[in-house]
Amino acid sequence: MPTEETAPVAFTLSGPGTPLRELLRSLWSSRTLIGVLARKDFFVRYRRTRLGLVWAIALPLIQAVVLTVVFSNLVPGGRGSQADPHTPYSVFVFAGMVPWSFFSSAFLAGATAVVDGANLAQRIYFPRMVLPLVAVTTAIFPLVATLLVLLAMIVGLGPGLGLSTLWVLPGIALGVLLCLALSLVFSAAQVYLRDLRFAVSSGMTVLFYLTPVIYPVSRVPHELRLLVELLPAAGPVELFRRAVGSADAGLWRSVVASLVWIVVAGAAGLALHSKRDRVLADLL
Amino acid sequence: MTASIQLSGVSKRYRKYDDHARVGGVLGQLFTRTERSWFTALSDVDLDVQPGESLGVIGRNGAGKSTLLQMLCGVTAPTSGRVTVRGRVAPLISVGVGFHPEMTGRENVYVNGTILGLTRPEIDRRFDAIVEFSELSSFIDTPVKFYSSGMFVRLGFAVAVEARPDVLLVDEVLAVGDFAFQVRCFERMNEIRSTGTTIVVVSHNMNSIRGFCDRGVVLDRGRVAHDGTTFDAIACYYDLAGKELVAGEDGSGGGHVELVSYALQDDEGRGVTHQESGRTTTCSLTVRADMPVASPFLWVGIENAQGQAVYSEARMNHPMPGIAAGEVVSYDVQFPADLPSGNYTIGVTLRALTGAGESALLVTAPRQSFYVTGRPHVHGTADLRATFTRRSS
Repeated sequence: MPTEETAPVAFTLSGPGTPLRELLRSLWSSRTLIGVLARKDFFVRYRRTRLGLVWAIALPLIQAVVLTVVFSNLVPGGRGSQADPHTPYSVFVFAGMVPWSFFSSAFLAGATAVVDGANLAQRIYFPRMVLPLVAVTTAIFPLVATLLVLLAMIVGLGPGLGLSTLWVLPGIALGVLLCLALSLVFSAAQVYLRDLRFAVSSGMTVLFYLTPVIYPVSRVPHELRLLVELLPAAGPVELFRRAVGSADAGLWRSVVASLVWIVVAGAAGLALHSKRDRVLADLL
Repeated sequence: MTASIQLSGVSKRYRKYDDHARVGGVLGQLFTRTERSWFTALSDVDLDVQPGESLGVIGRNGAGKSTLLQMLCGVTAPTSGRVTVRGRVAPLISVGVGFHPEMTGRENVYVNGTILGLTRPEIDRRFDAIVEFSELSSFIDTPVKFYSSGMFVRLGFAVAVEARPDVLLVDEVLAVGDFAFQVRCFERMNEIRSTGTTIVVVSHNMNSIRGFCDRGVVLDRGRVAHDGTTFDAIACYYDLAGKELVAGEDGSGGGHVELVSYALQDDEGRGVTHQESGRTTTCSLTVRADMPVASPFLWVGIENAQGQAVYSEARMNHPMPGIAAGEVVSYDVQFPADLPSGNYTIGVTLRALTGAGESALLVTAPRQSFYVTGRPHVHGTADLRATFTRRSS
């Protein structure tokens, strides 16, 4: 509201960056904006579709069904490859698919969020970090939907709900933080290096098979195990496995590895955004 | 009072990329050699705008207007210098930023309001006013993809204005709305200006700049060429635009026509600032050209105090004999001051035909103002000296 007194300084621009403290403060005051934009992006996606939100669940579900069928019937030794034979293979696969599909959709959208948000970013200021945060937040809606399907499978097919089911919560937290951290770095870097869009989507295809999503780490040759366990998404995937009672021995190594990824990527992302916040829009 | 917008020594350079094909044919689009160079959008701009001021920014395409607006939005930072903006900024640069075509007007108001920094309860409180101003009450639950461009702009403008910003940035967008809506927009902008909102208008429409802004800044190739009254700013803008035409694209070459003297005189050859209605008035201008000029012609324009053109004429179809290099020539423009009482300004320019229907500005005589004492009971924009007779049939 304009008043007779002097309005507070909205911003002072004297260089390409915004000091980290100031950036975080204005990020905090943009929290409503992030929520509103994420909700809009998610619900608008299914506007004018007949099936609407069903699509949010359908895609990972179909993928999980296909993989389950292929691996349990066509690939020799596929069935029974889960760490704990009491966990049905379909539940085992879907428990990996839920965090993976979140990771892949959130990170893919987050990594290109600043470039894709050019229309908004060039016309009005908010910390540019808001855009990758919105992309990751948007992906939480389908995550919740697929999680409900997973819970239904746990109840219907086994091993049944229990205290250990709660392991999905740290799994989600780890997955969200991981996507936020990676999206921060890539969203800023992609403005300068447009190749990253394609590098990231190719990388995700490779990572899908390298990360123990559809197989347990125990099936990986010994010398490669450590590599697989230390991949960024291994932590959340393994925590989800723990929730269906089928975790690998290297669970905590994977969790720590994910935490390291979060800290390193998060710090790099914050530094990059803080340094270039006010000029990222120039190159859009 | 503290300025609501402060720019000191602001320069902005952009990295420019030029792609050159490495190979011929279609493949040339894939294999390119990129040449990088710098180009300066703004250089050393100083500008202070006080709360409640309305500033018009004019300049040719590429003069730096958009860069300036982007800085005022906070979207881009200067390469050197400092920009400080106080209070909440609402950009009307392409209204309805973030409007989603599939969402209804109502939903878009909430999203757009949040983008402009309003909280949900704030939007709730202002929602009715927004709908009322935009006159879209029967369309508010329709997806905006069904809106006409005018409706779109109306809604966007209503949200931006009802956000009660401290700084409102207005681009050409208002040109989309119809006349009645534009009038209401300017009225509304005047209202919020009187409560202390600073308004910056960027436009090529000199009428809206003249009608609304009390200060004008002309940008020319990234520099402030003029900062003062709107009237002078517009004169400066036309002046620059004309020079450009004579000088040619690269800004060099061409010649120069210099104004030696200029006077507004009455029928006895005395300088006038005050004239009686109907008396002959003469504008005399003397110029010296240091290049030969073919087909020069004169333009005269008279405006009243409301900024309305009372009369203007370009004598394109009646060019004068050419001017030789180094020659000094005088021209007289004579007219009867058949005008009602009031203040008037007169402008005279000398132009040259450059092609079919095209001309270049050679010299602008400074605008002069003069007062006319009209005949009693005569009102309007011109005194046509009607005769009133009675005929008996």
